[in-house]
Amino acid sequence: MPVYLLLELILVLVLFALVRVYAPERTLLAGAILGAGATALLAVNYRALLSLEFWVGLIGFVAILSALMVVIHPNPMVSILFLIVNLFCIALFYLILQAQFLAALQIIIYAGAIMVLFVFVVMLLNLKAEVGLRVAAGPQRWGALLLGAAFVALLFNAIRGRLDQAYVEPGMFDPAFGAARGLGGLLFSKYLFAFEAASVLLIAAMIGAVIMAKRQVRR
Amino acid sequence: MDPNLSQLLVESAVKIAIFFFVVMTAVAYMTLVERRVSAWIQDRQGPNRVGPFGLLQPLADGIKFLFKEEITPPHVYRPVYLLAPLLIFVPALVTFSVIPIGPAVELYGRMVRLQIADVDNGVLVILALSAMGVYGVALAGWSSNSKYSLMGGLRSSAQLISYELAMGLSIVGVLMAAGSLRLNDIIERQAEHGWNILWQFPGFLIFLTAAFAETNRLPFDLPEADTELVAGYHTEYSGMRFSMFYMAEYVNMITASALATTLYCGGYHVPGLYRLGLPPLVAALVQVLAFCVKVGFFLFVYVWVRWTLPRFRYDQLMNLGWKVLLPTALVHILWVSFVVLMDWS
Repeated sequence: MPVYLLLELILVLVLFALVRVYAPERTLLAGAILGAGATALLAVNYRALLSLEFWVGLIGFVAILSALMVVIHPNPMVSILFLIVNLFCIALFYLILQAQFLAALQIIIYAGAIMVLFVFVVMLLNLKAEVGLRVAAGPQRWGALLLGAAFVALLFNAIRGRLDQAYVEPGMFDPAFGAARGLGGLLFSKYLFAFEAASVLLIAAMIGAVIMAKRQVRR
Repeated sequence: MDPNLSQLLVESAVKIAIFFFVVMTAVAYMTLVERRVSAWIQDRQGPNRVGPFGLLQPLADGIKFLFKEEITPPHVYRPVYLLAPLLIFVPALVTFSVIPIGPAVELYGRMVRLQIADVDNGVLVILALSAMGVYGVALAGWSSNSKYSLMGGLRSSAQLISYELAMGLSIVGVLMAAGSLRLNDIIERQAEHGWNILWQFPGFLIFLTAAFAETNRLPFDLPEADTELVAGYHTEYSGMRFSMFYMAEYVNMITASALATTLYCGGYHVPGLYRLGLPPLVAALVQVLAFCVKVGFFLFVYVWVRWTLPRFRYDQLMNLGWKVLLPTALVHILWVSFVVLMDWS
């Protein structure tokens, strides 16, 4: 079962992290032993490596882990790197759903252009590890916890009834659906109005940004 | 295991090994070509002592880099500092996997494409990977924690954002003409209707300029401008890690040349070859050779331009990118769409 293999690999990873935190001087030894164990696991269950379920699970795990690291890591630049990893995982999900065109765009636009701007800003402001950005105890923290719990409940409720559809059958989607032609056809026929409205909005936002930047120069 | 799948895996592994070997050898000899050609342009001798005509010089350079001490300065942010050379090197190599270097050939009873992966969205994959290359430069600059490196990284990210736009728009013309994002379709279209460079010359010029900027080559090498920034983003690197930046620059040049060949100069297509009636295997060999010659020409142009033009000033660079190349590319798209609509080509 691919899922059990995945869980075992995650267990190995957690063990390694525990050793690194509680006994840093044994990291190399633990890494060697656990790495050999993981390799043996993969060698015995090599069939699982060919199944879609294993890869979907692995990508999902990396996606969740990187998303957590974006929030947890104190260094803004490292957070950005994990966000890029996360965006890559989402692109891989698009690929699994046969939406190759969307996957490529996801990487070009989000992981490429937008994240480069993030990197640029962090470098320009020369942000070091965050100081005093942690939320102190008070109404804000309680509010955040409450809203977070509500959101988790909402997500759980949405997923609960769908566990039988957790994985996608390989032949479920039409490959032409995710190609550039199919997407372009939909954008310029069925969703033409929404598409044009979005582009007008973007142009308005761009002009607004230019005007605001100019006004500050004059001052 | 499914026999088809295992065959595919073996075939891909062989192809990857061959491509890697060829590209890395080409990189090694590009460094020699660059030094010899620059010497020729400046009326000097260049490295000519190691082996006949200096042909063993790249080997000597490689050995020297391997035995140099790797110094990691104490003030760097270590994880990112170690990651940055890989981030610039790997995407540059991977880009080559979608470029076709020849037609499909029948070998051992199988149709084999002379290309590692025949991707439907080949052009987009290339754009996506070239967008990844900037992280290597920017993060090397940031993690070095030194003012020269930081300036180099900042300049590089601004430069790449500006020129990626012009590059993408110039490629749109090619895509409209071919009606496909697949590189093989683009080459076939050029074989039938004439090379794109003949009627999309402005687009070709924009693409070439943007490619120079994306590979950080002179006249756009502001991220490492030696006269003002020591060595820019790789100031703090030494030994094998430094040479990885250096190799990545050459791999990027080769990939950009291969891309210019594929998109504008017909790829592996040789006009009038089918009239000679050669056996398919020989014809394929001629086509692969033609591809190599075309790429070699573009590589020579890279070296030629480097030793001919002086470096741009930073404001000139930005003006050229945003006020000249971008509007020209948009007008060029209009022209190409007009031609495609009237079906003139």
